[in-house]
Amino acid sequence: MKLELDEYVHLESPLHRWDPRYKLAGLMALILAFSFVRDLRMLLPMVAATATVYLVSRLPLSFMLRRLRYPSIFVLAAVLILPFLAGQTIVLSIGPFDVRQEGLLAVLLIVTRFLCILTIGLILFGTTPFLTSIKAMRALGLPAILADMLLLSFRYLHEIGNDLQRMQTSMTLRGFHRHRLSPRGLRILAWLGGSILVRSYEQSEWVYKAMILRGYGHEPHPRDEFRACSRDVVALSVFLSTAVAFVAADVLWRYGPAALPW
Amino acid sequence: MLSEEPGVPVITVSNLWFSYPERPNVLRDVSLTVLPGERVGLIGPNGSGKTTLFLQVSGILKPSAGKIVVFGMPVVNGDFRSDMGMVLQNPDDQLFCPSVRDDVAFGPRNMGLSEDEIDARVTEALSIVDALELADRPPHHLSEGEKRMVAIAGVLAMRPRLLIYDEPSANLDIRSRRRLIRLLHASTETILIASHDLELVLEVCQRVVLIDDGRIIADGNPRDVMGNDRLMEAHGQEKPHSLLPHRFPHGKSLE
Repeated sequence: MKLELDEYVHLESPLHRWDPRYKLAGLMALILAFSFVRDLRMLLPMVAATATVYLVSRLPLSFMLRRLRYPSIFVLAAVLILPFLAGQTIVLSIGPFDVRQEGLLAVLLIVTRFLCILTIGLILFGTTPFLTSIKAMRALGLPAILADMLLLSFRYLHEIGNDLQRMQTSMTLRGFHRHRLSPRGLRILAWLGGSILVRSYEQSEWVYKAMILRGYGHEPHPRDEFRACSRDVVALSVFLSTAVAFVAADVLWRYGPAALPW
Repeated sequence: MLSEEPGVPVITVSNLWFSYPERPNVLRDVSLTVLPGERVGLIGPNGSGKTTLFLQVSGILKPSAGKIVVFGMPVVNGDFRSDMGMVLQNPDDQLFCPSVRDDVAFGPRNMGLSEDEIDARVTEALSIVDALELADRPPHHLSEGEKRMVAIAGVLAMRPRLLIYDEPSANLDIRSRRRLIRLLHASTETILIASHDLELVLEVCQRVVLIDDGRIIADGNPRDVMGNDRLMEAHGQEKPHSLLPHRFPHGKSLE
């Protein structure tokens, strides 16, 4: 599993140059707006907006495709179940199973929204070094403890992954086949998971000691190292306007003009 | 008082006792004095209390009884003191920032130094350990030897006057170990080293303390303590190879 999110931060694009704080605010607003979308007519503009931002970011397509693979497993359950359970209008019958129109449309909405939101998230972290993103979050008011937790989680995913790999290798060397599932095999995999958890806990205690030894918690004040220019503000305005437009259009389509607050 | 006058102890440990909840009396009535500029090696079997003693001196663990004074000031549990630094046994426990530069800057930043001063210290510390070219690399992509050097740089950047090394040569190859020994030789700080690498202790330290079952068993010249067969064997140690009489003197062919 590829964990590095920021392998293309060296590229040159308007999104790479955008002040990380403004980028965080602008792209998060867009993600929030996408999560509000309920009307199917909004899907095409949503995909178009996402594709445009992705093109502007100049990130390679492979970057997105490789990273969408694993999170997509989470929506698989919805894709497999909803068409058969949600709604009344049967459009197709496969043996004893009926495929329903409402379920299909719900899947279309969920999958499109999921892919657009995830892609925007990838653009956010793919165009800014991870540490800079964390610093931008701090600058926007994220509590230090949460920022540190994020940072350490990201850092130690590698360590846990390496530990897991080493332990699996040693199990294989002693004749264990993890793909051959059996009650004993499952029990051993559970032990492996437990062992990883205990190791991570013990290591986190040592990491904390090491941080205390170098003065963790005594940092006098967080530095404000970002300098924004008018271009950053203009870009933020564009993204905020787009986000508001998405929410307003969705409300308009679904409930009519009377539902808008203005 | 932050004295470092000759003869005035850097560390004074008096009648120290410590127990973990599940392991009583890990340290039993330990008393130890370390003078400025001394390089003291702590040897002893696994679980004898070496790391526990270091964590007490660093203020990470609170003694069950007894007192520790470093540079004339009592060690208070949880206090941050930049005048002493500890390099942990596993460098992965210490290197947690996304880049080497950020990691080495972690301590100086917590000391509230200016950005210029932080940059200068990072460059200086990385130069001392000969790792300046690693500055922009992520720590988890480094070799074991490189990680060790970067972990040392992270502590050196705080410019501590007392340096504590816990198993500094563990998992190092010959070249990295030699680099470490050169670095330790060149240090002017007061140094405590816990190690199973007795040859390193013999080469670097002017004094050795043998600790077993939470007690100080012997304290003295490394050649006298580690050259004592009976003492070493009684406490699960082996006389270092270089102190053994050589059947085949160095420089002569085996034929």
